[in-house]
Amino acid sequence: MFASLVPNRLIRLCEWEELIMSKLSLGGKTSSGKLRSWVQPSFGEIFGGSGLNTLPSTKGFSGESKSKAQPSIAEVGGKKQRKRKGEPQTSNPEPGVFSSRRGSQDNQDEPWVDVHAPQTQAELAVHKKKVEEVESWLKVHLDLKSSKKGGALLLLTGPSGCGKTATVHVLSKDACCHIQEWTNPTTAEYRTDDSFRESFNPASRFNIFHSSSQTAAFQEFLLRANKYNRLQMSGDDEAQERKIILVEDFPNQFYRQPGCLHDILRRFVRTGRCPLVFIVSDSLSGDTSSRLLFPKGVQEELSIHNISFNPVAPTSMMKVLSRIATAEASKVTVNEQFVDSFQHLLAHFHVCFYLAGFVFQSAGRISVPDKAALEQLCSGSSGDIRSAVNSLQFSCFTDFSLEKSLWASKKGKSASKPSARPKGRGRSAKSTDVPEESPAIGGKDASLFLFRALGKILYCKRESCETGDVPKLPAHLSEHQRDKLLVDPELVIERSHMSGEFFNLYLHQNYLDFFSDVEDVARASEYLSDADFLTAEWTSRSTMLEYGSSVATRGLIYSNSARARAAHQSSVGFKPLHKPHWLHINKTYRENYLTAQSLFVSFCLTPISLVTELVPYLAKLSNPMRNQAQITFIQDVGHLSLRRFPGRLKLEALGDKDPGLLDLDSDHEEAGTQSTEPGIQTTLPGDTSDMPTLPNSQEPGGDLPASQPQPTTSEALLDEEDLRIEEYDSD
Amino acid sequence: MSLWVDKYRPTSLAKLDYHKEQANHLKSLVQCGDFPHLLVYGPSGAGKKTRIMCLLRELYGAGVEKLRIEHQSIVAPSKKKIEINAIASNYHLEVNPSDAGNSDRVVIQELIKTVAQSQQIQSSTQREFKVVLLTEVDRLTKDAQHVLRRTMEKYMGTCRLILCCNSTSKVISPIRSRCLAVRVPLPSTEEVCSVMMSVCKKEGLILPPELAKRIAEKSGRNLRKALLMCEACRVQQYPFSADQDIPETDWEVYLRETANAIVNQQSPQRLLEVRARLYELLTHCIPAEIIMKGLVCELLSNCDGHLKPEVAQMAAYYEHRLQLGSKAIYHLEAFVAKFMTIYKQFMEDGLDNFMF
Repeated sequence: MFASLVPNRLIRLCEWEELIMSKLSLGGKTSSGKLRSWVQPSFGEIFGGSGLNTLPSTKGFSGESKSKAQPSIAEVGGKKQRKRKGEPQTSNPEPGVFSSRRGSQDNQDEPWVDVHAPQTQAELAVHKKKVEEVESWLKVHLDLKSSKKGGALLLLTGPSGCGKTATVHVLSKDACCHIQEWTNPTTAEYRTDDSFRESFNPASRFNIFHSSSQTAAFQEFLLRANKYNRLQMSGDDEAQERKIILVEDFPNQFYRQPGCLHDILRRFVRTGRCPLVFIVSDSLSGDTSSRLLFPKGVQEELSIHNISFNPVAPTSMMKVLSRIATAEASKVTVNEQFVDSFQHLLAHFHVCFYLAGFVFQSAGRISVPDKAALEQLCSGSSGDIRSAVNSLQFSCFTDFSLEKSLWASKKGKSASKPSARPKGRGRSAKSTDVPEESPAIGGKDASLFLFRALGKILYCKRESCETGDVPKLPAHLSEHQRDKLLVDPELVIERSHMSGEFFNLYLHQNYLDFFSDVEDVARASEYLSDADFLTAEWTSRSTMLEYGSSVATRGLIYSNSARARAAHQSSVGFKPLHKPHWLHINKTYRENYLTAQSLFVSFCLTPISLVTELVPYLAKLSNPMRNQAQITFIQDVGHLSLRRFPGRLKLEALGDKDPGLLDLDSDHEEAGTQSTEPGIQTTLPGDTSDMPTLPNSQEPGGDLPASQPQPTTSEALLDEEDLRIEEYDSD
Repeated sequence: MSLWVDKYRPTSLAKLDYHKEQANHLKSLVQCGDFPHLLVYGPSGAGKKTRIMCLLRELYGAGVEKLRIEHQSIVAPSKKKIEINAIASNYHLEVNPSDAGNSDRVVIQELIKTVAQSQQIQSSTQREFKVVLLTEVDRLTKDAQHVLRRTMEKYMGTCRLILCCNSTSKVISPIRSRCLAVRVPLPSTEEVCSVMMSVCKKEGLILPPELAKRIAEKSGRNLRKALLMCEACRVQQYPFSADQDIPETDWEVYLRETANAIVNQQSPQRLLEVRARLYELLTHCIPAEIIMKGLVCELLSNCDGHLKPEVAQMAAYYEHRLQLGSKAIYHLEAFVAKFMTIYKQFMEDGLDNFMF
């Protein structure tokens, strides 16, 4: 079930259509009825089973249940008409025709993400292993429900539209248990809701808006969902008793005070009887809601099992998209006969012009979009299957106007119709630039996780070009010849959602692994130095940042002469990426510097002679006239472990999902300048070493092509370095 | 038990061990009970502070030696709170304004104002001015230095400034012209030796003159360093022997090993190790400039004469960027990488020449 969220694009589409409707000044009622069906997602399955869900916002749907199997047109159409818009169509003179028309129109309007929601595991676009992981967890915790005390918690994370919710729904159906889902009540509804005693209490009316009400409601929901089973209706089988509580929508209060949630969860873990599943979408713009709501400590404490989903792989997305396309195409046959019978009526009711457009459109457009178009959709959606399906549906409309002439020739009698249709006009203007824009129809802002962005720069894929294409450089410059680059560094930086400065730090941390020649390294490091130099002046920094990152990325790419030719690029292999040390180092440096000054202020020395002379020599002397703090500091800073390779530098691996948030104190970082860095995100509590390193539950084992293998080798790498350094230390 | 450096620090101008003529000048300067603003400069470990404290004692008597540490907190106009440590007696205040980073301007403005605006209570028995001692003036921002210039003129009536720095080149000329500049040069090797000998004598130790000479040379005539070394030698081994090892600080040894690592192998992997070592030095509070300088010295001593000009030029180039840039590691690493290339190239050429 993808429909928990109505995608923006669809709403926009609705608005647009409404505009057209108002221009035509006809069928106002129809439009409103139609709009509703666009906007309202069918929650039937979610709420149909939730007898306990007392929230009035869901009441409108609660009786409705969607048919499980791929619904036939007549079925869905008929149902929708009864439920949603029985009332607006009073002006219809021929009810029989109309109802069937609306039947098909409804089907047309229904978001395909709902119509084609996966019903079986096979239809899920999620990777099999991931589904199995969730399934086995559910199996264990559903079965042990009676024997094991306490509720089990599962946390599903992943980018939006990667099939988290769909997986849970499909699996719960397979396991014959029902899902009870929490939805945030809006305050107005809460006021009229009589299931809470407070609303009867006149005193509480005044503080009805106080912030904990949602929290209280949530708590009560959990309690009730946990305690009571669904009413046994005749015809329900016994197995349905099992249930999963699903929370996708968190009361806002929890974002402000995650502690509230944790308290409630602690209570739930003690008393709970059924599994509780949380679904949190993670985003890469540094939104840390999953970390905020479920910090590592709490995850361990409550033994929350965390399963992290990857974006949908292009191959499985292609499968789904073509399945939907074929399914939609197959409806044409049904529609076509209807269209023919319907056509002659239109002459009489010009009200129906618009509707006719719709019908024709649905009938006319549904030819399976060609493979290239689907692939374009795939790549444009960056692993978000919901948006991919939506844009598939949307792009089908554009197809219509593109193929208008074709369609008109097929159906000779409608040749006059397109001109009468305002839709045609609006689209035809657009249709010229559709080819260039078609990725934009896919709509999702393509963005890259930092891990991939770095990879793109460091691996710098090139395309071997034919010798005839490009003019060769003269012989004495031939070492500067590079093959055509396949990545656009500026675009990569832009999509990585980081400031150039931070991106450079990441590059600096990792670039050495990708170089084999020290001359190249010298050149590359000079470019990095240049980049830093460019952004040194704070007055011009905001402008220069882009240039700085451009210089750094392009410089790195250019100077890696081992990867200058597309033909020789294959040899590098996987290298784990790491988080930059610099910020941490710089912070420690400043902290120690200040500590030294405050501890040894009585020596009246300048800081430099303090740290380079006094403290190191104090470490050599056994001078007892020091207080404890001073002794510790001397031990810590004055002594350098000469034998060992620096132990405190722990390489922190960069996971493929890490947003690249860095903890830094802007003040410390930029003490010499007065700028505020644009890229500084709010600091996390604790220092860099406290950063959650990796989503641990993520076992990549032959995972999706889009995901990266887990860089687990970092420890081993450190050990290796340990050994190697001994060679020259021991002399 | 305090350090020898502090224990045997001379407390009056008459007792200074070297630059006696200058001491006499200073003495006659304050004889009349007043003196202009002073700018005392000279290399580290030459005895600037010692001289200044002697001067103050001459002026105010033993009361200046009763020191206390004051934690001042100043609120900048931007509502930013600045914490700064000051050392004060009843008669003077010692502050290092550059501790406040780029808010040093505010420190100078506020601190000197508060000191200068409060008149001495018993001006009959004491001097009618207080002394503010500012250290590391050469590290002040230009803004702060201009503020200082105004302050100097404005509060001339109630306070005197003594500015202390290593070099006047970074002090703006209006300040230099408003002060009496006093240069304190490094003591000669013989002077360092004689100071050490006399200290050891007072400690009841016998210091072989050869060892004293070696220490003096090793310390670069930095008297503070020499005395610290001497004391470290004492801890290491007593009785002294003329050829005993003079302990070096850990970071110096570490830096030398780093330089050796660079010379031994030139590869990206080695650079990665060097980077880790640089980080390690930084976390031990060694400033990037010092690392750069130390590295250059070590590398220069390791490489062939043909390379030296080029290496020095490169070092200057990256040192400049280090000063202007914001992230030192880029520049340090670029320097190391560059050195590696040059050195590798040189070695390969040498090998080729050898072959033919």
